[in-house]
Amino acid sequence: MIHSLRVIVVLLGCTLGLNAQGPPITGDKPIMLGGGSFTTKTLTEIRTTQRGTFTYVPLMLHYLPSSNSLVAVHLPYIGFNFENGGNGGDLADIRILGKYQFFRKDATGKTIRLVAKTLQTLPTGRELDLIDLSTGRYAGYYGIVAGYETLKYGISAEFGYNWMPNGTLDELRYKLGVGLPLLKPQYPNKQLNLYFEYTNSWVVERDWYQLLYAQGIQYAGKNITFDFAIQLPLVNDVDEGRKLKQSFFLGTRYTF
Amino acid sequence: MKWATKKEKMKRTYIILTITLLSTIAVAAQKEMDAFKVQVDGLGCPFCAYGLEKKFKEFKGIKKVKIDIETGDFSFSFPAEKALSMEAVIKQVEKAGYTPITAKIIRANGTVENSEDGKVALDPNKLESTEIIVAGNCDLCKARIENAAERLNGVGEASWNADSKLLSLNFDPDKTSLENIEKSVANSGHDTHSHKAKDQLYDKLPQCCHYERLKTK
Repeated sequence: MIHSLRVIVVLLGCTLGLNAQGPPITGDKPIMLGGGSFTTKTLTEIRTTQRGTFTYVPLMLHYLPSSNSLVAVHLPYIGFNFENGGNGGDLADIRILGKYQFFRKDATGKTIRLVAKTLQTLPTGRELDLIDLSTGRYAGYYGIVAGYETLKYGISAEFGYNWMPNGTLDELRYKLGVGLPLLKPQYPNKQLNLYFEYTNSWVVERDWYQLLYAQGIQYAGKNITFDFAIQLPLVNDVDEGRKLKQSFFLGTRYTF
Repeated sequence: MKWATKKEKMKRTYIILTITLLSTIAVAAQKEMDAFKVQVDGLGCPFCAYGLEKKFKEFKGIKKVKIDIETGDFSFSFPAEKALSMEAVIKQVEKAGYTPITAKIIRANGTVENSEDGKVALDPNKLESTEIIVAGNCDLCKARIENAAERLNGVGEASWNADSKLLSLNFDPDKTSLENIEKSVANSGHDTHSHKAKDQLYDKLPQCCHYERLKTK
């Protein structure tokens, strides 16, 4: 109950008080770059917890059949190094992503968009019990991504539920990405953006709650970005031995 | 010696003729391009502009693509022989995921088509050119002033200079009047010497557009 209240309070606080700009690093965005285009992405995460260190390297291929829909496949590799000695590497859970933009309101230099999102996690990885990385179990995530983008600032937020029928990792998730451009908006684009991103995660069946903060920086050229972020727990209310220490993110995306 | 000079002269003449011929061909080729101006809403970040440009690159032969993300002004030229239609341009903006507000095509033969009025072709021989003073400050003002003029049926090209404050335009006096153009500009929040913008409209302009008010005649 306390966790639910925390989620709701943070959710409301964030929604009422913050602004952002650009595509976030650890979150998602509702803007799609033109029908018929492909984007390849990778966002390596090095996650260190009390259990060990895990390196997650996904290769993501996104395709936009139209200006308001997206399908993608994520092929990930995971390297694991447990504190108790076990280590190795293997294929992690393959994911299929689908997005559909159902609302768009445009004005000069700004746009508001809403997107319905589903992420289907296939049980192809090892059973490492690592949320979002490798669970070896099927899960279906259903959520809404919202974004308000302007040339000076913007906001992207995501709210959704991850349903795992044969496991205990059902999760209520809320993300908020705030970004500010450090350079004047220009085209052809050359951007340096700062990101301030929050992730609320409540693992319902285990009653775990985490509020994570990620500080990121992104360089964006014409059709390529390079991203770096460090994520730290602000609230780490999970079982002892499972707590997150920090995560590093290193990524790039290329649109063609 | 004389033979060598004669040969030299002939060589020079050939070079000059070749350059002249190539220049003529180049100028003729340049004239064969239609110019397109589209006002696009929803370009909330430079990446959005990339998405728009990428979609239009599907039109093989597109040249001089220019996007001003602050004003949403998108312009390009395209070979006249391919007769790219207004509908195709508007549809392509929508396919890119953005909202087209107005579009104008200035054909290589001088005719002008406006999206708002359907295919209203202006006879280049009937167009009158003129300049009027319009108050404003910045690129946002420029986009607003030019759009206010160009959206009128009968107006060809309109270009406002932030330094001189002059709006240079051409229009067909059978279809519209200078009075109408100045009214339209004033209704967008910008003073001219004949028509002052309403205070409410002026107050609604972004801070950077708050120019020094003009005294109307």
